[in-house]
Amino acid sequence: MNAINLKINNEHYDVSVKPHWSLAYVIREKVGLTGTKTGCEMGTCGSCTLLLDGKPVFSCLRMAIDAQGCDIRTIEGVEEDNNGELHPLQEAFIQDHGMQCGFCTPGMIIAAKHLLEHNPDPTEREVREAIGGHLCRCGTYIRIVRSILNAAETMRNAQAGQ
Amino acid sequence: MEYYSPTDLNEAYSLLDKYGEDAIPIAGSTFYMGHREELFDEVEAVINIKQLGLSYIRQDDHGLRIGATTTLNEIFAHELTSKGTFGILAETVKELNINEVRNMATIGGEVCIAGEVDMPTTLLAYDANIVIGGSKGVREMSMADFHIGYLNNALEPGEMVLEVHIPQPPANTGAGFAKFERTAADLPIVNVATRISLDNAGACAEARVVAGAATLSGVPERSAAAEAALLNKVIDDTLIETAAVASGDIECIHDFRMSAEIRSLWVKCGIEDALQRAVAAVQ
Repeated sequence: MNAINLKINNEHYDVSVKPHWSLAYVIREKVGLTGTKTGCEMGTCGSCTLLLDGKPVFSCLRMAIDAQGCDIRTIEGVEEDNNGELHPLQEAFIQDHGMQCGFCTPGMIIAAKHLLEHNPDPTEREVREAIGGHLCRCGTYIRIVRSILNAAETMRNAQAGQ
Repeated sequence: MEYYSPTDLNEAYSLLDKYGEDAIPIAGSTFYMGHREELFDEVEAVINIKQLGLSYIRQDDHGLRIGATTTLNEIFAHELTSKGTFGILAETVKELNINEVRNMATIGGEVCIAGEVDMPTTLLAYDANIVIGGSKGVREMSMADFHIGYLNNALEPGEMVLEVHIPQPPANTGAGFAKFERTAADLPIVNVATRISLDNAGACAEARVVAGAATLSGVPERSAAAEAALLNKVIDDTLIETAAVASGDIECIHDFRMSAEIRSLWVKCGIEDALQRAVAAVQ
């Protein structure tokens, strides 16, 4: 076992890991943050997506031991980034019902958050490309895309109002 | 299983020598982690090579040099690989529509795997060389020699890929990439890369027609017949069709993803498409 320290949502966690343990497994089972979902655990579904040093990655394909020293943001940290209130993306997913079972939602929101931070006014195609690696087994894509576009508009309006 | 994160090349080489075939150098970790169940018993040491300063893209008199641990998204965004002479590299990355994997997967990894991935197909069309390092020294090898079979390469125990070197292509060169897959997250069923260089009279002086992911050999292959059809001729739609049909000399694999017959047809379609793009891109 290797003792490591992970910085997740600005909190530090000491954990002991084996080299082949994925970041997704450690965050869920050892740290206890279960907002990050594990679906396929082989990099094809997107539900374990989180931000590592600001970039979205599949945490099932990342060794936890290799995430030491990185700034990790999970779905639990999204509210924190928005002064403790639901993020406009989360509001939009609730408002527009951008989910059925909700299993893919944390990954979708993380990917969308990264998109909107770099592209506040995306086209529908750009939204679809940003969630290209994310599967929704309920097939709610139309509502997911709508939620992200509506959240983008809300965020732009809030920005303009400031 | 031991984990190492060496900070200089000599340290990495001595670890590779110590563990030999039981060591796996990793950077993006997408392949290793995606196959961790199968690889668990085979791997004794995981050697993280990300701290070795191998993430770079630079151009010199001999062409373009891309460090082994450069990620696909770094290639997608870099000014040397996103437009101009080597813009085809970014076009190839764009066809893998999973931002999360592009943030992790590296060119060195794609080169070593060479199975159902896109970049080696494009690199073969550009006559790329692989720079290999080990405690015995550094050697350079052509892509064609480096790949010896599905998920199999010419690395000796104790060696690792340091860099991909792409020679400067002649003037008046254009390239095209085409791909068929089931979904954005699936592996390619067929991918195709073409490169053409024209002489001053506008005739084809050099041609590369490559298909990957679909071949029986498991590694990207050039179509000698398609290339011969193009050479010394002015390329028009009819000639592109002739070259595409000639690509039947690439033997395709029949597996659960697709039958060999359909794959052959898609290789032809892909080549036609990629050649059209190459002609339009000549600069």
